[in-house]
Amino acid sequence: MTRLRAAVPYAAVLAVALYLYHATDAFAAMGREGQLSPAFWPRAVLGLLMLVCAWEIARAAWFPRDARAGPVAAARVEEAPGEPPRQPLRLAAGIALTAAYVPAMEALGFFIATAIFLAAFMVIGRYRRPFVVAIASIGGSLAFVFVFMKVVYVSLPLGMGPFRAFSASLLAALGIH
Amino acid sequence: MPDAIHQLALGFVHLATPSNALALAVGLVVGMLVAVLPGLTLVMGVVLALPFTYGMSVTPSIVLLTAMYLSGTYGGAFTSILFRIPGEPLDVPLLWDGYPMARQGQPARALGWTLIAALAGGLLTAVSAVALAVPFARFALRFDSPEYFAIIAFGLSGVVSLGGGSLPRALVSLCIGLMLATVGVDETYGADRFTFGVPMLKDGIEYLTVMVGAYGLGEVLTRLEQGFVTPQMDARAKVSTRLPRWSEIRELKGTFARSSLVGILCGIVPGAGATVGSFVAYGVESQYGKRASKMGTGIPEGIVAPQLASTATVGGHMVPLLALGIPGSGATAVILGAFLLHGVQPGPQIFQTGADMVYTIFASMFVAVFGMCLLGYFAIRPLIAVLRLPEAATSAFVALFCFVGAYSARNSVTDLWMIVAFGILGYLFERFRFPIAPMVLGCILGPVAENSFMTSMIAYSNDWTVFFTRPISGVVMLLTFAALAWPLWRGLRQALRDREARADAAIPEANP
Repeated sequence: MTRLRAAVPYAAVLAVALYLYHATDAFAAMGREGQLSPAFWPRAVLGLLMLVCAWEIARAAWFPRDARAGPVAAARVEEAPGEPPRQPLRLAAGIALTAAYVPAMEALGFFIATAIFLAAFMVIGRYRRPFVVAIASIGGSLAFVFVFMKVVYVSLPLGMGPFRAFSASLLAALGIH
Repeated sequence: MPDAIHQLALGFVHLATPSNALALAVGLVVGMLVAVLPGLTLVMGVVLALPFTYGMSVTPSIVLLTAMYLSGTYGGAFTSILFRIPGEPLDVPLLWDGYPMARQGQPARALGWTLIAALAGGLLTAVSAVALAVPFARFALRFDSPEYFAIIAFGLSGVVSLGGGSLPRALVSLCIGLMLATVGVDETYGADRFTFGVPMLKDGIEYLTVMVGAYGLGEVLTRLEQGFVTPQMDARAKVSTRLPRWSEIRELKGTFARSSLVGILCGIVPGAGATVGSFVAYGVESQYGKRASKMGTGIPEGIVAPQLASTATVGGHMVPLLALGIPGSGATAVILGAFLLHGVQPGPQIFQTGADMVYTIFASMFVAVFGMCLLGYFAIRPLIAVLRLPEAATSAFVALFCFVGAYSARNSVTDLWMIVAFGILGYLFERFRFPIAPMVLGCILGPVAENSFMTSMIAYSNDWTVFFTRPISGVVMLLTFAALAWPLWRGLRQALRDREARADAAIPEANP
């Protein structure tokens, strides 16, 4: 079972590599007569990738795993501190939050979306002091708006509808035009 | 050499302009802070600083990032020695002797040795960068496309084979990076590759989003999954520095010499960065040092060797970056990214077209060395106070920096989605222990590698032997194969030793 688990990432990469190799057919014929086609380089890289993955899958299936540390680090492996237990639900919430932040920024504007994102991230990260969370998220969001729009001149999203109007008035209050 | 010294003097003058001086000061402080915080790696810190350089001119941008890189190799020493919290992987060997010395009631002495080692390594790195860069660049002027391809192949093979860990994983990471670089319209024929009908993909995948997503957001997600567990600092630890006497330093001259050599070599060889330098220097001292048997018990040699070597790698890395345009580590890959974002392509010509800039960067390295040591001596107490910040809060801001940094480059929401995707990919890399650096370097160097390969093939009528028959490229290709074969040979030798050890252990059992 452990051997199969070790082969899973390589199998996934191999499957994607096979698909991409097949996709190179779409531009393989675009080269000039007597010259290498635009598919040559990606095919060479994919070939190497598939070779390595196949080798590792075979090794995982037929030979015992011999996971080795780095050249010198191996000597000190015994001193490495143990990894803390994993919390997949917390990770899933974090990924969902980061993914939701992108459309939220477009809809609510940078300031509101960022304040919510910062607060939610801290809560997911087990920081439970509401006053500090509120101050850090609103203050941090304001600081980012000021630095990036006033100092670095980056045009951050303003949001849609009423949120756009709110962002515009906030920018006016901060002296950003 | 006299010309280099003259140019360096002018570099010091240029460095005195407010923008350059400010960039240097900010870089030093931020680099130290990043190195102190365990959740933030040095490369991640340099990546996160990148967006702030968009509005700056190229020289202060590079001065800022280089100062961060240099001071980042020193800042993590404090938490390693005082609290047994290595801020960076390169600080791990430091705690093997630094922490025991601190526990023996001599934390100030341990910090003093660290400071002297960082000062020596820093000065050495700056001198070596000035001395080696011009000869490197002159040599590189003889290069044609086959030589460039060979050099890039050597650089990538070095990252794969010397980065530590598993060769297959590093190769997979590199190939993924090279494949990401092929997305978009190809330079030679104008063919759409792997765009799948998505217009945004025609512009290709920005290496910035790969770097920021994989290094920054990926690390944040990894730490989040672990619940942001950071060892608590010992409130009783005394934070002061006592410099060693000159006679004590002279006693360690062998350690200084060995570690300097290791640091410079690990800097110049692509892939063997500050972390490898730190580990190798400690290993060399454990084998060849005068007090090798006492290593790990809290002796100065165990502090000087890793600290000196890791700081000394910085200048070595800057030489191939500036002279050839080839980064040898994650941090120099980001610095190369900063050059490219400002429309400057490092390479041999840069010493003619941008000598002012190059020598200002070199001058900044000299000043940065003294600056970081002064910071370490006088401002360490407030610097390590950042450890008291809750990691959930700092990580939330790091994630935000990732998003804003990627968005700022093109004002594109698609890049934000890319950040999320590469953040998850970076997390998966960490989860399954695939190194990120080969992917990032593959992504940055992939287009140059493909372009020089295709140009060579067109110019030499598809004769692939050209890479082996031309003297320079032939030698470099030989080194490339040697670099790839070395870990295989090392693994084979280790397997044979393990088998012999098992056989030896089985004999007494068979004959009780």
